[in-house]
Amino acid sequence: MNDMRIVERDVDTNENKITARGVQVFYGQNHALKDVDVDILDKTVTAFIGPSGCGKSTFLRCLNRMNDTIDGCSVQGSIKIDSEDIYDPKVDPVQLRAKVGMVFQKPNPFPKSIYDNVAYGPKIHGLTRSKAELDEVVETSLRRAALWNEAKDRLSSPGTGLSGGQQQRLCIARAIATSPEVLLMDEPCSALDPIATAQIEELIDELRSQFSVVIVTHSMQQAARVSQRTAFFHLGNLVEYGETGKMFTNPSDPRTESYITGRIG
Amino acid sequence: MQTEKHIAAAFDRDLEAIQAMIMKMGGLVEAAVLDAAQALDTRDEELAERVRAADRAVDALEEQINAEAARLIALRAPTATDLRTALTVMKIAGSLERCGDYAKNLAKRSSVLIQMSAIGDTAGGIRRMAKAVELQLKDALDAYIQRDVELAEEVRRRDRDVDQMYNSLFRVFLTHMLEDPRNITACMHLHFIAKNIERMGDHATGIAEQVIYLVNGAMPEEPRVKGDTTSVTLLDGSQ
Repeated sequence: MNDMRIVERDVDTNENKITARGVQVFYGQNHALKDVDVDILDKTVTAFIGPSGCGKSTFLRCLNRMNDTIDGCSVQGSIKIDSEDIYDPKVDPVQLRAKVGMVFQKPNPFPKSIYDNVAYGPKIHGLTRSKAELDEVVETSLRRAALWNEAKDRLSSPGTGLSGGQQQRLCIARAIATSPEVLLMDEPCSALDPIATAQIEELIDELRSQFSVVIVTHSMQQAARVSQRTAFFHLGNLVEYGETGKMFTNPSDPRTESYITGRIG
Repeated sequence: MQTEKHIAAAFDRDLEAIQAMIMKMGGLVEAAVLDAAQALDTRDEELAERVRAADRAVDALEEQINAEAARLIALRAPTATDLRTALTVMKIAGSLERCGDYAKNLAKRSSVLIQMSAIGDTAGGIRRMAKAVELQLKDALDAYIQRDVELAEEVRRRDRDVDQMYNSLFRVFLTHMLEDPRNITACMHLHFIAKNIERMGDHATGIAEQVIYLVNGAMPEEPRVKGDTTSVTLLDGSQ
């Protein structure tokens, strides 16, 4: 009977993209993340869930070294992307962030045209040699972000003039324009209506064929809908990490059970 | 039951209400089984009639439980134990509804059998079998409400005893029919009754398995014990 199970949630690969070992994060005296070990798969959507202040966003920000910019924050342990230690002194954080794209909670397009929003990354990283090449990158990125049809006739109008859902898709287009390998999303749908949310979720599922996607979400239903793997954080610990279907029907840890059934905040 | 409360208190109230309905349904079905067997044994036509009429309440409860469970799934998006609770109440309600139907059928056949002469003490044997099955149902439902896997396992094991009671009754009916063909009508009715009570035992076992699924998140691995050998029994009673 095993071959008749729903195969939808199967992952495409079992190769690790990100390997984290013994990751500890301190904000001054505050021990925000305690000894986290996790292997994040390539071409897979991994959801981080947990109550506010549990460390899930902190861990997400470790993955592209955004915590570097916070005073008093120290990160210990090792995080490797494709077996390269991203905290190695030789690694340039700016280059790292081209490889590890990020989309935030609130859509934050630059106060520039739609075209320039998407072209910005490839330009500063010198990824294209000609205007034609840049045009192509902009078009492909907008297509992959499912925004091309709505935006193609108004590429020079300001990105801030789009609707909330469109702005968020613009931010995704901007994030994928530099051809990243990992896409981090911190509550990408919390400011969107259900239709725009469904569009972004559909987009996330399509992007999974090319990237490793890590999404932080407060909506457990969203985690259940979009991810193949789920990690549950609580009080700075990674409590449980596993296949999403299993996590939501029969979690192993009582703390996970309490959280997903709405018994602890 | 899980002692930790939901943050949304109404969620707890919904789950408790559904499970209270299951217990109520279980109580009605247990009473129906006992009463129907008693009506047969004591030739009480009025009691048989009451059992037949009472089945409507059991059917209504099943519908209500299914509707409440569907509502819970739609409105609360239950996960983990809560999800398994919603799924198991629907299955258990289905099993209880079948048991209720069997009890009603027992009562119907009793009304007919009361008009005929008794076949030895087979009515007493059926009553003992009904008592054993009623106890199985009761323990399966107690195991459900207590989330008691051990008791559920015991209910599963006990199904073998009911199967053996059915096997011996089956042989007794065969003997009576071979002795005197005029016994055939009554024995056919009695055999259907015994078979239906044996089926109720299977449903009780099914409920016990739902308890194991509810608590462990997986169905029991070892297959249920089978003690019913009549499907391979020949006319002379040999196997």
